[in-house]
Amino acid sequence: MNTERCFHCNEPVPDGFNFSLNFDGRARSFCCAGCLAVADTIISSNLADYYRFRTEPAGKASAMPDSLRAELANFDAPDVLANVSHQQGELTEIELSVSGISCAACAWLIEKQLRKSSAVHQVNVNSATARCHLVWNSAQTPLSNLLNSLANIGYQASPFVADKEEQLFKTELSRFLKRLAVSGIMSMQVMMLAIALYFGDYSGIEASHQGYLRWISLFLTLPVVLYAALPFVSSAWRGIKARQLNMDVPVSLAIYYTFFASAYATAFNTGEVYFESVCMFTFLLQLGKFFEYRARARAREATGNLLKIMPVSATLLVNGQPQIVSARRLKQGDVIILRPGETIAADGEVSSGQSSADESMLTGEYRPVAKGIGDKVLAGSVNHDGLLEIKVTTPLQASRLGQIIKLQQRTLSQKPAVLQKTDTLARYFVERLLLIAAATFVLWYFWLDADRAFWVTLSVLVATCPCALSLAAPTAVTCALASLNRRGVLIKNSAVLDVLPQLSYLVFDKTGTLTEGRFSVSSVEILADDYSQAEALDLIANLEAYSEHPIARAFNSYRTSTLPLAQTQIHIGAGISAICNGQHIKVGSAAFCAVTQQHNAMVYLSVNDRNIAAIQLQDGVRPEVPGLLQMLRQQGYRLMMLTGDSSAQADELQRQLQFDAMVKGCSPEQKVTEINRLVAAGQKVLMLGDGINDNPGFHAAHVSVTLQSGSDLSKNQADVVLLQPSIGLLAELLSGSSRAQRIIKQNLRWSVGYNLLIIPLAVAGFVSPYIAVLGMSFSSLLVVSNSLRLLKK
Amino acid sequence: MSIIYVLIPIAILFVLIGLTVFFWAVRSKQFEDLDKEGFSILFDEDNTGDTEKDDKTTP
Repeated sequence: MNTERCFHCNEPVPDGFNFSLNFDGRARSFCCAGCLAVADTIISSNLADYYRFRTEPAGKASAMPDSLRAELANFDAPDVLANVSHQQGELTEIELSVSGISCAACAWLIEKQLRKSSAVHQVNVNSATARCHLVWNSAQTPLSNLLNSLANIGYQASPFVADKEEQLFKTELSRFLKRLAVSGIMSMQVMMLAIALYFGDYSGIEASHQGYLRWISLFLTLPVVLYAALPFVSSAWRGIKARQLNMDVPVSLAIYYTFFASAYATAFNTGEVYFESVCMFTFLLQLGKFFEYRARARAREATGNLLKIMPVSATLLVNGQPQIVSARRLKQGDVIILRPGETIAADGEVSSGQSSADESMLTGEYRPVAKGIGDKVLAGSVNHDGLLEIKVTTPLQASRLGQIIKLQQRTLSQKPAVLQKTDTLARYFVERLLLIAAATFVLWYFWLDADRAFWVTLSVLVATCPCALSLAAPTAVTCALASLNRRGVLIKNSAVLDVLPQLSYLVFDKTGTLTEGRFSVSSVEILADDYSQAEALDLIANLEAYSEHPIARAFNSYRTSTLPLAQTQIHIGAGISAICNGQHIKVGSAAFCAVTQQHNAMVYLSVNDRNIAAIQLQDGVRPEVPGLLQMLRQQGYRLMMLTGDSSAQADELQRQLQFDAMVKGCSPEQKVTEINRLVAAGQKVLMLGDGINDNPGFHAAHVSVTLQSGSDLSKNQADVVLLQPSIGLLAELLSGSSRAQRIIKQNLRWSVGYNLLIIPLAVAGFVSPYIAVLGMSFSSLLVVSNSLRLLKK
Repeated sequence: MSIIYVLIPIAILFVLIGLTVFFWAVRSKQFEDLDKEGFSILFDEDNTGDTEKDDKTTP
């Protein structure tokens, strides 16, 4: 085996390849012409610092086909450009999604490369989200030139339209940061002063100093209650308006009541002040909310590249002349032309031409579907190899793709309501607390001691302040999210932590989820005596090394030697031919190799027109699947497989893995129906899938999980994203959530128990406000440190 | 101890300056990509003209 690795992308250099370049005084080898060209461009344009400082190898740079380069020119049409960018005077502002960014050095490289053009006014690359913000003069340099210059250094960029929701997320996130800063920094200041006041109480303090420190604390707490704590108030207000007391009602009550009582004490120089509690409380609660929000925002940004699916432009035939228009403008009856590699922009019928289309985005099936005259094609699928002329039957918005997206939005509102435990607890508590406080005040004012009424009521409210109660769940959830994230499980919707421990039914998609989502060799039939299986596969692998087709990748690992090939030719949609040691070799479909079709075989090998081997390819099961299913079954979950595949492979898999139920040939609607049936039967359902066809089902299920390799749309929609290519993380998710649940229960038990104990004492007037605040802080601390246990391990 | 009547307001002034700087940093999007900025010091900035141009167009 050759251990030499490509200087650019760090993939093994295949034997017999001889691409090398001098850099920093050493010859560096490359795995392919693409990587060599990219590295050459980078080094010769003085950007070699990239190689010195990068922390991750670059992605393999496949040479960009001319057809794709031509497609970039589509973005220059004013009609299309206007759809994806903003005009600011003579400058154009655009957001690009860049694929191939692996580390921060890439961001630097891209910025440098773009700044070389004098038309570029501003460029800012975000390496975390793989986005590029570009402002340039489109009259001076067309967009396609800039995109081409990026392609030269190995990055493929395409225009991106962030949806409104994402914009909102962004502004909200920076608002969160500011609020956190205000409450955090002010907490430190106020706490510093509080220590002085505490010491003053023990060792004596001049009344003027005490008053001064209190006024300063009051002044510093103002921004916290007037700015940082506002989200709690608005949420509480929304709750009250909807006649639903939520957790934010007692939180805001506690913040403002404590603040005003302290302000009163400051102004009239009596009683105690609790400014530091107000600040700390606000800060801790904000922190929890911020972490959850950031996890969601990050997941959205990194995955929200919807434009790759939604086609932007199309080539319309007007009076026989091709003309590039925006995909949204297509009407029924229009005729569009599709070159190989282009995304189909509307549902339609093939009116001329022959090709195959990749519909995996919509159906989850990776096998290309043959398309001839009269066949229907779907928007969002990719034309593989032939030129097609398509008569539009349904415009983009109403197309199958558009419908699936709409179906999702509709099912979104039907998501089974998750019972928010703390919210119901809070509702129960707040009502009674307010009643008890009011009763205490009345009791003391009229019957016991009118002078003490105010302070006793205050200590009732402070002692029973549901701080610990309201910190109980959020802190545990935050810690659980963080620790799962570290293990490669990204939870976007923290409400699922509540449901996960109650799950009873797990639903799996097949292709790409249980299986690898790519082809591998499943059986080889040798039809001639003079070739062994290894020899035949080696021969095929040598030829397939020239192809980028998904089928070709299946043979990569079977290559054991380097054969001298001559006149290698790729026949699109058919196969590859070459001459080796004077023999004419063909690898490809049955028709291409001129042999008879064998049962189920997809790839044939012929030497001098003699059939040597027939190979069946299969989408192999992920290695961790059998073990995982075994474990889940032992834990008492019921398992189900829903697949869009109707072939025998589904039955084969069912025989292997023994699901409790299996439905094959499912349309997205059927998947929803199946899941709804389970939900109606009282099951708590988790859905694990990766394709767009699973998305409607995601919303029907209680919890949806997708894989990093899944489509962007599904990552956008799912509650949970598994960040490593292993569905074994599902076990981590389940165990992590039940641990979190346990901690939440402990926290709730403690805080409720504490409150029940302290109320009678406070009402009876035994608890001075001082002790009340100590008790409150202590139980909050206990709850927070209990939650922090989740971060260990 | 009357020095605290001077020192504490000065301390508060610094806190306010710190907060203003933080707000400015958030507004100019410095918290959006924390990886990249750490790297920027490693690379030679050979054409300074470009960065100046950037500053002007930054809203």
